[in-house]
Amino acid sequence: MTISFVHSFQSEWLKTKRSLALWIVIVGGLFTPAIVTVARIIQYEAVPAIYSSDHFWKSLWQSSWESMALFLLPLGVILTTSLITQIEYKNNTWKQLHTLPLSLTTIFFSKLSVIVVMMMGFFVLFNIGIYMSALIPYLLISGVPYPKNPIPYEYFLQQDLKYFIDCLPIVALQYLISLKYRNFLVPVGTGFIFWVGALAALSWKYGYVIPYTYCMFTYLESGVANKAVMPTVNIHVLACVYFVVITIVSYVLYISKKEKG
Amino acid sequence: MYSLQTTDLVHQFSPTDVVLHAINLQVTEGSIYGFLGPNGAGKTTTLRLILGLLKKQQGSISVFGKPFHENRVEILKQVGSMIESPSLYGHLTAFENLSLVQKVYQCPKTRIQEVLNLVGLPDTGKKKASQFSLGMKQRLGIAIALLHNPSLLILDEPTNGLDPNGMIEIRELLKRLNEEKGITIILSSHLLAEIEKLVTHIGIINKGKLLFQGTLGELKMKQQQLLSVVLETSDHEKTVQIIADNHLTSRLEEDKIILPAMSKQAIAKLNQQLVSNGIEVYEIKAIKNDLESIFMDFINN
Repeated sequence: MTISFVHSFQSEWLKTKRSLALWIVIVGGLFTPAIVTVARIIQYEAVPAIYSSDHFWKSLWQSSWESMALFLLPLGVILTTSLITQIEYKNNTWKQLHTLPLSLTTIFFSKLSVIVVMMMGFFVLFNIGIYMSALIPYLLISGVPYPKNPIPYEYFLQQDLKYFIDCLPIVALQYLISLKYRNFLVPVGTGFIFWVGALAALSWKYGYVIPYTYCMFTYLESGVANKAVMPTVNIHVLACVYFVVITIVSYVLYISKKEKG
Repeated sequence: MYSLQTTDLVHQFSPTDVVLHAINLQVTEGSIYGFLGPNGAGKTTTLRLILGLLKKQQGSISVFGKPFHENRVEILKQVGSMIESPSLYGHLTAFENLSLVQKVYQCPKTRIQEVLNLVGLPDTGKKKASQFSLGMKQRLGIAIALLHNPSLLILDEPTNGLDPNGMIEIRELLKRLNEEKGITIILSSHLLAEIEKLVTHIGIINKGKLLFQGTLGELKMKQQQLLSVVLETSDHEKTVQIIADNHLTSRLEEDKIILPAMSKQAIAKLNQQLVSNGIEVYEIKAIKNDLESIFMDFINN
């Protein structure tokens, strides 16, 4: 299982080359930082004051995550997961994949791992992007000081980990739906409905039952919690539970499929 | 020894839709087995069952003498296949399509260029598979099936989309692989003429039933048995009487008299007798049943 998993993972990874999913990860990861950078260059007169602030890094972090946590990240995860999984339906290649000497377990988990690793890649790009959005205005605009406080790595990593865990149930559910249905619109449409539902559920006492709310709650709890009814449970633990349960259900449905291509 | 054997393979998509009725395939090691049948006969369903793409319902499948489902991964290491249309990732090049399969089989990387040369796609470069013609896709699909030097090759209508020249090339390639490397090949087709020069064994399937299975020689024996003579005269009643007097059996079909195979001399003698009895003979012809008409005969009856 172990070595064949590595080979299968390499094979699955190659399939993402030049794919739309890969472009979504790259563009999605750098989009918000690029907007922040451009906005600061345009409003260059206000930039020296921003950079002199004691809370520069946390403030940059919050503004970068605003659109990301509420909008880009959930939708990006929905699209990326669906696109990667649907590569096989789109190219009619499930039959080829299922006649390779790989166990169904290996195929299932290597594909899921590629999605998870791509998500990690997205976080790495986004973090690099945030740093670049701080560095570029400093280099381009005269009179802008380098932020005096050190980068709060620990806080950033903790936040990254929380957001990453919050994404996992979305990955699992989108993966399940994408494996089950040939029509690309089903997983994307379902994901979109859940996302809209999650936005609406933010002010609901039990909004946390919808796993698509977790990224939003994590963002809101770190600054603007008054806009939502914050969950009374640990949503990150709940996200892990959802991820494990949905993945198990997805796996059982996948291996018991009567037609495999 | 059989490379592939199925026993009483039954498959149904719904309780009223039985698509395979007790299929017993026996593919001898080292043979080229032509699996023939019209569209919708059950060829692809059988091949998909053999490869585990459909869940087996009844019967058994053994490949290289081992039950398939218990030894799936081990068996698939030695099997190359192309079912229906080629399975290609349109956004990748030919080399990349082979590369991702190579990573699973862990065969030498040099093998990729070897198989591309073998199927006549030596330099497609950066062209994506989605931009390939149907014939090129078919060749690449065959290259993928051959990449790991399989012992058993299962190809579903492999010459679909190829021009006549391409068909000949692929036929020659398959023949060479069979002769030089001893690869057992199963290929399905709905055209006997397309594969009769290539195969050593034939299985004919129609409406989910295996109607014939044997060597090409055995099928040709049937060709001899089925030769017949057709006669059209001005008086069928009198003609049939004369035929009976010659101790021959005949039957009337569409206003023509059908006789069993007979020698040229016997035909000439019968003709003389008919004319001397005042019967006008409009037509005498020997029906040469080629393999295609035997095949048609199988599937029509």
